[in-house]
Amino acid sequence: MAIKDILTPFTAWKKVFNEPVTIKDPFNDRPGAERYRGFHKNELQTCIGCGSCEEICENEAIDLVAVKGYETKNGDSGLRPMVDYGRCCWCALCVDVCTTGSLTLSNEYTWVAENPDEFRFVPGAENKAWDKNELGWKKPVPNYEFYGQKRVKMEELSPEERDHSFIEIIKGYSKEQAQLEADRCVECGICIATCPANMGIPEYIKAIREDDMEHGLKILYETNPLPEICGRICTHKCETVCSVGHRGEPLSIRWLKRYIADQVESAEYKRILGTDGIENNGKTVAIIGSGPAGLSAAHYLSLMGYKVTIYEQYAKAGGMMRYGIPEYRLPYDQIDKDINYILSLGVNIKYNTKIGKDISLAELRDKYDAVFAGTGLHLGRSTRIPGTDHEHVYQAIDLLNKITEGKEIHVAEKIVVIGGGNVAMDITRSLARLQNQKYGKVQIIATALESEENLPADVEEVIEAREEKAIINPGWGPQYIEIENGKIKGLHVNKCLSIFDEEGRFNPKFDENNKNFFEADMIVESIGQGMDIAYITEDIKSELEFGPRGRIVVDENFQSGAKWLFVGGDIIQGPDVIHGIANGHKAAYGIDNFLKNK
Amino acid sequence: MKKQKNIFNWQADRSKYPEKKKNGKLDIDMSSGKFVKLWQGPNHPGITGNMSLELTISGDEVVEAKTHVGYLHRGFEKLMERRLWIQCFPTCVRMCVAEPDYNEYLLAKSAEELSGIEIPEMAEWLRTLVLEMARLQSLLRTVPGQAGTLSLGVGVQWGVYLRDLVLDLFEELTGGRVYHMYIIPGGVRGLLPDGFKKRMEEVLKKIDEFVKNIENLMFNNIVFKKRTIGVGYIKPSWIDKYGIVGPNARAAGFKRDVRKDYPYLKYNELDFEVTSEKDSDIFARSMVRKKELIMTIDLIRQIMAKMPKKGDIKAPTPNVLHWKIPKGETYVRSESSRGEYGFYTVSDGSKTPRRINLRGPSYTHAISLLERMLVNANIADVHSIMVSLQTCPPEIER
Amino acid sequence: MENIIKDIQNRFEVSDIVNQRDNITFVTCEKEKTIALITHMKKNLGFKHFVLMTAVDWIEDGLFQLTYILNNPKKKLDVAIRTFISRENATMETAHKLWKQVSTYQRELKEMFGIDFPGSPRVNESFILEGWNDIPPYRRDFQTKEYAEKTYFPRPGRKTNDPSEYMKKNMS
Repeated sequence: MAIKDILTPFTAWKKVFNEPVTIKDPFNDRPGAERYRGFHKNELQTCIGCGSCEEICENEAIDLVAVKGYETKNGDSGLRPMVDYGRCCWCALCVDVCTTGSLTLSNEYTWVAENPDEFRFVPGAENKAWDKNELGWKKPVPNYEFYGQKRVKMEELSPEERDHSFIEIIKGYSKEQAQLEADRCVECGICIATCPANMGIPEYIKAIREDDMEHGLKILYETNPLPEICGRICTHKCETVCSVGHRGEPLSIRWLKRYIADQVESAEYKRILGTDGIENNGKTVAIIGSGPAGLSAAHYLSLMGYKVTIYEQYAKAGGMMRYGIPEYRLPYDQIDKDINYILSLGVNIKYNTKIGKDISLAELRDKYDAVFAGTGLHLGRSTRIPGTDHEHVYQAIDLLNKITEGKEIHVAEKIVVIGGGNVAMDITRSLARLQNQKYGKVQIIATALESEENLPADVEEVIEAREEKAIINPGWGPQYIEIENGKIKGLHVNKCLSIFDEEGRFNPKFDENNKNFFEADMIVESIGQGMDIAYITEDIKSELEFGPRGRIVVDENFQSGAKWLFVGGDIIQGPDVIHGIANGHKAAYGIDNFLKNK
Repeated sequence: MKKQKNIFNWQADRSKYPEKKKNGKLDIDMSSGKFVKLWQGPNHPGITGNMSLELTISGDEVVEAKTHVGYLHRGFEKLMERRLWIQCFPTCVRMCVAEPDYNEYLLAKSAEELSGIEIPEMAEWLRTLVLEMARLQSLLRTVPGQAGTLSLGVGVQWGVYLRDLVLDLFEELTGGRVYHMYIIPGGVRGLLPDGFKKRMEEVLKKIDEFVKNIENLMFNNIVFKKRTIGVGYIKPSWIDKYGIVGPNARAAGFKRDVRKDYPYLKYNELDFEVTSEKDSDIFARSMVRKKELIMTIDLIRQIMAKMPKKGDIKAPTPNVLHWKIPKGETYVRSESSRGEYGFYTVSDGSKTPRRINLRGPSYTHAISLLERMLVNANIADVHSIMVSLQTCPPEIER
Repeated sequence: MENIIKDIQNRFEVSDIVNQRDNITFVTCEKEKTIALITHMKKNLGFKHFVLMTAVDWIEDGLFQLTYILNNPKKKLDVAIRTFISRENATMETAHKLWKQVSTYQRELKEMFGIDFPGSPRVNESFILEGWNDIPPYRRDFQTKEYAEKTYFPRPGRKTNDPSEYMKKNMS
């Protein structure tokens, strides 16, 4: 106890003359820090309404609501988050998880309103004072992610391993890889509407994460009876709208689908899908063509108890999937796996039977309760430039067909392919393989009207074709084929300036001063295919309605003007496998409805 | 109670009541007119949160005390069982208002340990910094707060001002002032902003000055000494008996500090000595906290000097929307400004925790220990004793 | 640590030993031997600091797991002892005589999980939930959300849309 203890506390008095430290005008003098977590901002143009913010919100403060001016479209639900500030705790997890990066927080923390309902609003849609604030919480960068941004790389054969043969290029995911890739899914479901078949994508991806292949297979078969095939060659429109793709790489949805189908033995299918002992309802349906649309319709009709008979013009089923797509992309045993399961449901198939030749459509009409036609596009179109009547000018589709059938085809040393779509790539790569086998080297050029960035073929197809030493030289318009002494010398082309005119019609313009010549002794045309509906005889035709380009008009159930005739697949929509499947599925329900009410 | 030597303001049991019954139990008969019930709280300004004491007094002496909690129960442990692991992270911070960062760290650490994730070096440093800043702001309130219980409010005002400056720094670094939500499972949510070191040093200099001022104001203050020396004595033998941890144990001579004994984050790369005192009264506990404050300032300076300039802040984790943590259980602890603060976490392999249990120091301090300490205390000392244990009621009932 | 685990393994037949970290081990002990084991560890093995005790509800197995975490401050080691008791009429021997704060834990467990500790001081007094008449709320079968919806009132007019359902509706 010292006198010091009495006196020293009084030293605090010297602070009495200090300036006060209080902030005089806190509303203006004290903006929130750069990272402050204040009221939300949302760039509504960038936001796609995927709902990840709602999903992660631990307080259920976020609702997804329709906002005027934002329509539902592919890749955008048209919904936008509405925040209830009575529940928000300003943790900013919604910002950190945002798939597009549109959602941020402002540094504004003072706002007074009398009506409590005003504290529930759609950020970005109501012109709040802080919408333009630069400062506020943003997702930290870089390497701060709530889910993987990079795809799990798919292993494939190297160009050297694959360019001599037709063995499958893509190896498929291992369990570990598939689960890692499936983990990246945010389960928003934006992809479902874009998939023509509306597949339950998030749910089957979830099944992969949970390693429940049986459930996964069930989900696949709900909307798609050809998962092995689709898992390999689907045009995967879903991946183009994947919300994860906005900041990173979209999920490999196609490969994940394939993974599920690959895991299940075909012997297990019936047990898993519960399709043993379907009761027959005594009604019959004929299906023309065993392509994706026909098979899909056959599958769903069989499940509903219809007795289905497919008429197939070739010796094997699958249509374009078998006769158009090369084996290195879609091995025949995988096609068989899917098809055999469908046939095992009691579907009868008559091979080598062409409608209009072996049996008429009218006969089918009389014999069956309904008919579904999914006859596809099997007629190759020609450029009709001078010289195309030469015997060594081929149609890609005919060559692909022959390769499938194992028939010998003419393979020249130097080949030019006209066309830039997936079929053009298929034939280019198939011929490159055959050239390799025959000559030990590749000399094939594919050319197209479209410029490099507008090529209709999938990017990976072009890349892989180049890896296999094919030359892809786009942007040229074919003029004529030079023929000397009855032998093809090559193809003359002009630089293509534009393909469509102002009205959007096909009307290519060429640069006469920019010419090129591709040497070749064989030319393949692959500029698209047309339909062959000669089997529809005049009397039936008179009942139908035709739209632009001679397409048959059908209603939403794919029912044509002749009520008993349903039409789907490439001749209606597409062309691709997944539209065919979706058409077949819907047509099956349409037929069921039609026959029930008949 | 035995008479204590060398403690000059100690007065032995002054009242003759309650008498002991034949069976040795105290004879507290409320109808006898010898006793009065006094409720202190639940709204008491001395502590962070609401808690009440049911005191039975005889004259000015407490003869029996009971702690009542339940005014703040929000069931966070239960709520976390119904949330994704990532969603627990904004929930858990609310289990202790005074230092929310320890909750964040322990949840993140539990999740990382159970799923075998290593976090980047930079994130470890930033976590260490944030935990020390949390201690700093907590002590800035607690150290002068002890004098505040004796109506010496000047220091409290100084402390609150400086604490706000630390909160400004928190705001810059984490985006929040009180609930920082910065230590996320897998790492942290941001690097130091530009110029942060400089601003940190400016604040630390002001706190250095504050420590000198508080020395004069509190620790060399006859009133403070009179009211705290020898009051609120904790017997060293009680330390293990009552589960006493942190500054309360260190003031009794037990050099126990989780940072030293079970080093976590970057503490084994930092140079510090565990503080302690011997007298185990309120004054000693205040002294320990003051020393901690000085130590924390030093630690922050060391961290700022040693921290790398750049680096990853987060390890890759599974997609947080369906992050499943493998089945298992663990207990992780850290040293909060109040002592051992731990999370016992059980995962059943699903997307949500099976059980998260918080071991907060106040749980033992404010109930079993405080009820014992208050017996024979003067009613005027009750809140001083309570505050000297640095009670944080929200962590008792969670 | 190894010696300690060996010692209690021999004496008390603990099982399911998990070395979670170098300095913390989880063991399972039979219900009847648990308090004896804890006493032994405190008295003879230096585990003087009682860290915590709590329960985990394994409703699917019909069991409560009680976890006692003990700490040896000298050797800086932790041992967590699990013991499983039936959820039906859940009772456990009290450990309040070993440490003063144990009775508080037991009081909380009685209230939150409905586990009884006969003989523990004030074990039947309400701890946090004065006037509670529902099932003990920390049991897994207590539904927090249901309770909240029943007890409090949600803000009127809130409704949300599932993106995929909404898109299906608007795009087909």
